Amino acid sequence: MAIAIGVDVGSLCTKTVILDGGNNVLAYDIMRSGHYYKGAAEESIDNVLKTAGLRKEDIGYILGTGYGRGAVSSADGQVTEITCHARGATRLFPGVHTVIDIGGQDSKVIGIGDNARVTNFVMNDKCAAGTGRFLEVMALALSVDIGEMGDLFFASDKKVEVSSMCTVFAESEVISLFAQGHKKADIAAGIADSIARRIVGMVGQVGLKEEVIMSGGVAKNAGVAHAIGERIGAKLLIADEPQIVGALGAAIIASERI
Amino acid sequence: MEKVLTEIAEVTADPYGYVAGLKERKEKKVIGCFPMHIPDEIIHAADLIPVVIWRGNEPVTWGHAHVPPYDCGITRSFVDDAVRGKLGFMDGMVFHVRQCLQAGEFPFIMERHVKPSYQKVLYLPALYPGDVMRDFTITELEGFKTSLEEFTGKKISDDNLNKSIEIYNKNRSLLERVYEIRREKPEILKAREVMQIVWSSMFMLKEDHNKLLTELIKGMEAKTVEPEKDKIRVIPVGCLCQTLQFDILDLIEDLGMIIPDDDLYIGSRYFANQVNLDGSPLGALADRYLTRTPVCPTKGVWQVHWGDEAIKKMRDNDARGIISIIVKYCPPHACYYPDFKSKMEQEGINAIMIEMEHEIITLEAIKTRLQSFVEIIGGV
Ligand code: SF4
Repeated sequence: MAIAIGVDVGSLCTKTVILDGGNNVLAYDIMRSGHYYKGAAEESIDNVLKTAGLRKEDIGYILGTGYGRGAVSSADGQVTEITCHARGATRLFPGVHTVIDIGGQDSKVIGIGDNARVTNFVMNDKCAAGTGRFLEVMALALSVDIGEMGDLFFASDKKVEVSSMCTVFAESEVISLFAQGHKKADIAAGIADSIARRIVGMVGQVGLKEEVIMSGGVAKNAGVAHAIGERIGAKLLIADEPQIVGALGAAIIASERI
Repeated sequence: MEKVLTEIAEVTADPYGYVAGLKERKEKKVIGCFPMHIPDEIIHAADLIPVVIWRGNEPVTWGHAHVPPYDCGITRSFVDDAVRGKLGFMDGMVFHVRQCLQAGEFPFIMERHVKPSYQKVLYLPALYPGDVMRDFTITELEGFKTSLEEFTGKKISDDNLNKSIEIYNKNRSLLERVYEIRREKPEILKAREVMQIVWSSMFMLKEDHNKLLTELIKGMEAKTVEPEKDKIRVIPVGCLCQTLQFDILDLIEDLGMIIPDDDLYIGSRYFANQVNLDGSPLGALADRYLTRTPVCPTKGVWQVHWGDEAIKKMRDNDARGIISIIVKYCPPHACYYPDFKSKMEQEGINAIMIEMEHEIITLEAIKTRLQSFVEIIGGV
């Protein structure tokens, strides 16, 4: 059986998707990348094979993507996460023209043409502001579980402004907002909005074209997704599992190469 | 050919040592010219050694006491080198202060902290609106010549000037030949080698460089190379007064692209077009500066759009994309870039912008951008 595997090795998580010959998703896996990307990639591949009840010999092609794409030692090829996100997004939502992807340590906005190919893109790869790592630090500062942060946004009735983009400065700003007596929910709403403001700038550079999908781990934070949608004035499409969009795209390209 | 390339690689690995040694060997004074496009034929005609100032490779230290961290790499690196005494072999310095705001800072810093025996500030026009600017430029160059005569105590005759112009023109035509061969067989040289070839011309004596080029060209003409048809041809474009990190050029090639030509100052722009030898030499030097050096964000004419020139270069070379290389904190380039980008969009050109910094080079991030660019062009 010609099965295709896409492995997206991100700075925080490694995601793997396995497709059968008819391009149906047989299984997927999400795990922490840790400090040993090579090991994480191979472990994630083993995980999907196990879930799908397949063996290594069944694999037709493995494609690596993501920040650690070079670390997938069993890969037959590698393609950037930009291209893979575009392919994965159009598979999930065929009418999509803009991808907003916010991962563990970077964010990107990708423009897609009618042929599912990338037309242009911008990446914020210089600092972790507005990324998953930023949210983790903010959750710690708010003393809430990262999973609760999104819901907290909707409990806010008076969003406060968090003006710092820098993760370290934003953390001290949050602490001083607490000291001024602001409510947790209002600060959480401010944090979500600060990410949204940053994304608006990137969307402006690429040019907003609907439909818009949001992918990456941060898409699971309903508060941030809502704030971005409001700021850019468009409804955001979010997959059931937004973290595997890149790996799905990689698996699709892998299947074309078998 | 390999011998010449090795020599050039050695020279460019340590321009400080090379120029200091040259000064000793030739027993001549060295005049540093801050880029771009100072007509240094006049310095050569004064029997001095002209060198184009370069960006060093070290982190900026004391220099930050004199220039802010948001100045471009060559500005900070040059000031740092100068105040730390690394440029002690330079007897004089020339600055063309109309080029950009940062170049305007140098004369004060050098006058106060470095005190070269000779310093000249030139006001070469950034725009060429006609004869009035030609007259102005000739007057500037006359003043430049007089100041050098006063410095050396020797007159510079028209004959001296014409001889120097001839040597420089020869260097231009030899470099043009290197580029011509590279256009025919782009695989023949690595992009970093091409940049080193042009860069070495900027601080070697042109007579010496001409000899090297003549030998190199012989080797290039004789060498056959296997064309790599699957490589994607791209043109790097930029308003850089400085060498870009060679790692970026290597990366472009490692990702399956090939560079048949460029639109860079330490590249095709340095040697483009000869100085006309009919009539007055200073008039001819003014003409080359004003109308015969290719446009870029620091100088040009309204009628010519830099983007059109870059697109023409791309099409002439059957290239499939343009890689804009921008130096962080270069105001002229940053101001021009939106216009350039719109032109690329209007014309449907595959183009990407890469930003380089003096100290930090996020090669992994640049790799992802460039690889995505190749994937876009290649239709992945
Ligand atoms: S790189 Fe730009 S800012 Fe720096 S000296 Fe050159 S023109 Fe001026």
